[in-house]
Amino acid sequence: MGDAALEAALMRTVVRVLQSLRGWILPALLLGLWEYTSHRDAAHAYAFVPLEQVLAALSERLSDGDLLHNLEGSLLRASLGLLSGVVFGIGVGALMATSTIALTLINPIYQSIRQVPLLGLTPLLGLWMGNGETAKVFIIALASFYPMVLNTYEGLRNVDTRYREVGYVYGFRRFQLFRRVLLPASLPSLFTGLQQAVPMAWIAAVGGELLFNVGAGLGNLMMQAETGARMDVIIVCTASITVLGIAMSYLASLLSAHALRWRQ
Amino acid sequence: MSGNTSAAAANSGPSLLSDLEIRRIDWSRLRVLGVLISPLLLLVAWTLVVRAHWFTEQILVPPSAVLEAFAEVWDSGELPDGLKISLYRLVIGFALGSVGGVALGTLLATSRQAQIYIGPTFNALRQVPTLALTPMFILLFGIGETLKVVIILKSTLFPVAIATLEAVRNIPRQYLEVGRAFRLRPWMQFRRIIFPASIPPILTGVRIALGRSWMVLVAVELLAADTGIGQMMEIGRQMLRIDIVMVGVIITGLIGFSLDRGLRLLEWAMLPWKRR
Repeated sequence: MGDAALEAALMRTVVRVLQSLRGWILPALLLGLWEYTSHRDAAHAYAFVPLEQVLAALSERLSDGDLLHNLEGSLLRASLGLLSGVVFGIGVGALMATSTIALTLINPIYQSIRQVPLLGLTPLLGLWMGNGETAKVFIIALASFYPMVLNTYEGLRNVDTRYREVGYVYGFRRFQLFRRVLLPASLPSLFTGLQQAVPMAWIAAVGGELLFNVGAGLGNLMMQAETGARMDVIIVCTASITVLGIAMSYLASLLSAHALRWRQ
Repeated sequence: MSGNTSAAAANSGPSLLSDLEIRRIDWSRLRVLGVLISPLLLLVAWTLVVRAHWFTEQILVPPSAVLEAFAEVWDSGELPDGLKISLYRLVIGFALGSVGGVALGTLLATSRQAQIYIGPTFNALRQVPTLALTPMFILLFGIGETLKVVIILKSTLFPVAIATLEAVRNIPRQYLEVGRAFRLRPWMQFRRIIFPASIPPILTGVRIALGRSWMVLVAVELLAADTGIGQMMEIGRQMLRIDIVMVGVIITGLIGFSLDRGLRLLEWAMLPWKRR
């Protein structure tokens, strides 16, 4: 009796473990296919590098500091661009929300520049700023600038009139009204902007590094690897970029949740 | 739209309504003028800066030079040919990606088995930025047409699939129950209930995907292409022809804008019940 119950519980656990593994079947199949192709002949091994080689490349690039050096370059650049884009974006968005003149003057230009595909601006920026850091940081800043302007503007515009009225009743001055009423009320929208800006900035950082092939960065490492037909290094870079992208978005959402915790 | 209403107001003869109508139009005309202020100022400043010779010719050329460059690349066939091939790539990749995305999204939304077996892989792959895949795809597919189509396919497939997945999942249960109460056959259930209920969010997803795909295509053409509008800009950059680069920037912007507007128009035409 006890044995049967134990056996049933064991079976249920086994079934549950097996069921949780079902999502892994497809990746395992794909990896197996990749591995099989890579071992077929030399011609296939050129593009489909064996997985053990990818792992070897990962540990090699990690131990000689190459990967970390380029990773640091990309992250620093992305943070710098993001920071300046967010600051300018909030500034311009706030200006547009508070002054009709600024709105009339800035909005047409903002709307038309925004239509140009972001990385389509790289040849122009390359000619204006050279192929160095400035152009790369500018592209990242621009990528985060667009969503910040939009969300700051929307956030400030949609502040409930009743909140403003409370501010007037208290006799707040302009700055106090901004600090005590407008800013807290538009904070959710600002953080929506930030959560859109972070992935955009990261994509712009990678794209900028692919197109402006100077300095340290994951994109540069990838382009060198592409020239040398080093698929293993490329896979390591693509995976790092993906993981970092997920981590940054997660960080941004944690930050928003923390800053907006009063909302429940 | 506004033409219709003003015509209707004129037919009804002089009334308070037509008076208001005129005032509204005047106001909107003023607004249109306001929109022009800053671009005109920019154009004037641009011309003045060029006249003052603050920058060399490689950095800044007068607006007229950009127009001349446009005529030059248009007549030489460089621009029309590049545009044709770029748009062709976009259409093929985008069509394949949209159809695949809608199919994949519907599958994931309706089948539990698909969600269990494909879901995790789908969620992992959609996190990979398309641009980060470009070097890998170049090694796999070379720099030919396959590369561009595959890249646009990737950048369209996932956003459309996610939009479809959410759209189909969020169809209110009551709608489906109405269909069941009417004993609709599966096809009619799809045609009358599932399709109309899920198409608005799917179209929004498709529009976002199209904008992204256009950005990615231009980037890939800058990076690795022997034809296309991106390649025209890249050659312009290498030859320090800022006028050609600016033509490219303006044209890619106009196309991005028209693609977005085109799909908004499609939404408007397909979803008469969504019009205000």
